[in-house]
Amino acid sequence: MPIDSYRFLDFASRQVMKAWAAREEAARREGGAAAGHPTPIPFTPLAKPLRECTVALLTTAGVARREDRPFDQEGERRNPWWGDPTFRAIPFGSTEADVRLHHLHVDPRFAEADLDVVLPMRRLAELAAAGFVGRPAPTHYSTMGYILDATELIAETAPAIAARMRAEGVDAAALVPA
Amino acid sequence: MGLVQQVIEASGIATVTLSWIPELTRAVGVPRLAGIAYPASRPLGRPHDADGQRAVLRATLEVLASANGPDTYIELPFEWPESPARARNASRDHPPPPISELLRKKPWLLPRLLSGRIPEDET
Repeated sequence: MPIDSYRFLDFASRQVMKAWAAREEAARREGGAAAGHPTPIPFTPLAKPLRECTVALLTTAGVARREDRPFDQEGERRNPWWGDPTFRAIPFGSTEADVRLHHLHVDPRFAEADLDVVLPMRRLAELAAAGFVGRPAPTHYSTMGYILDATELIAETAPAIAARMRAEGVDAAALVPA
Repeated sequence: MGLVQQVIEASGIATVTLSWIPELTRAVGVPRLAGIAYPASRPLGRPHDADGQRAVLRATLEVLASANGPDTYIELPFEWPESPARARNASRDHPPPPISELLRKKPWLLPRLLSGRIPEDET
């Protein structure tokens, strides 16, 4: 059965999501690089077996350490077309007790009860202990996923995350939209 | 998220996205994608279901090793244990985001959202 998570959405959200996918596909087909879609899609083969890889996680759930700057929800309330395009570093070992979610499109109660539902650092540690992957990276990451204008996200946030991953010897990353 | 994935991949790190909206993620064009039929806000599974979350993460990471080229798409076989109505119901008292409220009041702005002509500030 093909994946159909739209059935978990209300009718209005479902229509917006479907139309959005059609728009992205059209942009990729027609505009290519001009529309911000690199052609061809980049591909980096896994450099070594998974059991030797350092792995980092990235969620879009708007997770920030409690002592860190929250994602800017007031800005989005003032202008619903805007979303905070910055990122937060989440040190390995942080738990739901150490963070808050700042994302107006995500129900925060699930991840604030168990952070692994969006940023599975404990599950990653277990897979490392079992020898399935090498090790968790020292740092993991969160963005806030409601970004209509991706200019700053692509020009600044994503390169900054990539640079920090490379500095920490990350071989592979798993990204989790919330 | 798809665009961020492209940047990280291009920097020399192998990436995979675990997406509950794979149609949308795939439309952006990503190197590796694992689709899952789970509801929003808990893509790895239910809180405190460590075994279920671990199985999803493991299956996602396996796509890193099995993919031979870009636009690899694997549909994960996991099934959400509740009905869609029940999953929706769990968040019924969570307030809708500002853009939904705005479009409910001004539905004629929806084409602006879909066209990508994002207003500077229009409420």
